[in-house]
Amino acid sequence: MKRAVAAALALLISWTGAAGEKAMSPTIQEVKTKHAPRFLALSGVVSVGIGRDADGREVIVIGLDRARPETQASLPAQLDGYRVRVEIIGTLKAR
Amino acid sequence: MAHDVETVRAALATSRDRLLPQAHVVATGVGYKITRGVKTGALSIVCSVTQKVALNQLRPRDRVPPAIDGIPTDVVATGVIRALQARTARFRPAPGGVSIGHRAITAGTLGCLVRRQGQVFVLSNNHVLANSNDAQRGDAILQPGPHDGGKFPDDQIANLEDFVPVSFLGLPSKCRFASGVVAVLNAACWSIGSKTRYRTVNLQAIDNRVDAAIARPLQPDQVKSEILEIGSIAGLGSGSLGLAIKKSGRTTGLTTGEITQVDVSANVQYGPGRLARFTDQLMAGPMSQGGDSGSAVLDSSNRLVGLLFAGSENSTIINRIEHVFSELRLTL
Repeated sequence: MKRAVAAALALLISWTGAAGEKAMSPTIQEVKTKHAPRFLALSGVVSVGIGRDADGREVIVIGLDRARPETQASLPAQLDGYRVRVEIIGTLKAR
Repeated sequence: MAHDVETVRAALATSRDRLLPQAHVVATGVGYKITRGVKTGALSIVCSVTQKVALNQLRPRDRVPPAIDGIPTDVVATGVIRALQARTARFRPAPGGVSIGHRAITAGTLGCLVRRQGQVFVLSNNHVLANSNDAQRGDAILQPGPHDGGKFPDDQIANLEDFVPVSFLGLPSKCRFASGVVAVLNAACWSIGSKTRYRTVNLQAIDNRVDAAIARPLQPDQVKSEILEIGSIAGLGSGSLGLAIKKSGRTTGLTTGEITQVDVSANVQYGPGRLARFTDQLMAGPMSQGGDSGSAVLDSSNRLVGLLFAGSENSTIINRIEHVFSELRLTL
């Protein structure tokens, strides 16, 4: 009986712990959604999405129409713990 | 007994002119005989036919003999052989992957066939079938599109049925409240003799998820469920990072790629000075050009995952098929 209570208690603690952790760090989707409108308003930014780096980790990818030194200088290297990569995508046109 | 290829070629040369006029025969050649689906080691004279017909249904002179000069024959059903048509040509029935367009546009791509309440429609982009919102239900859709020589009424294949309006940035707002406020302001301007008038525009981006439209074929048998160089759609899939994809489009034909980004928010130009914001898009590498808009995007198992609509020199932007189907209430 004591064992069962202890196990239940341990389970409860680990569960609340996990929940607490989740609330602490937002998902990459949440971070991207929160910041995308701000980046898309910068001159030359054509896209904000989620891609992968060479190690397979998910990164936030900001696309530019061409080299934009000023815009690039204003972009962060990380957002809420997620890496940010800047790519020259080109102007996006309906085809 | 197996013959060498020169012997078989010589036998073919003397019998070709006799074989080709026979009913159903469309080609002759030299090849290994295939028996019950398995390639044998024996060279044979291969007669390609439009369809296989039981011997007793054929006039004696139309029967391909089992052997010619001791060399076995093989009859293979290949169907009618046609010159490969350019995707910008007129196709009836029209498959996915060929030129199509609203009367007032240049040309885009017929994506694939879809259903709404049991009826069959062709799927493509709003900017292909509905002239980027500037169209009415019932407008003529041409195959091929006007840029590829499609003429009304001869090449009309369908009527515009429905489209999801694309919301553009900086264009007149459809907000009724804002329109009301502006009407009051303009009345005030008028009453004081001012020549200034106000109008409402969308400053805040309204997010689009799809650039999609459907058209109703004039005749169901003038369209075809297959997609050129891809074949039949196996079902619905969903785009994810790294997924291998392919499309069949008017301009660049069959191309393959990989989804490099998901959850993409993007600013897309619709002609000079017209911009629209899209969210929850898929991005792939350079696998399209102008005119490929409207192409169906499939995974390697032929599951439909998206609708191609935009791109740059080194990217392609694709609507998720989930959003296309839900916004237009479609099924396969």
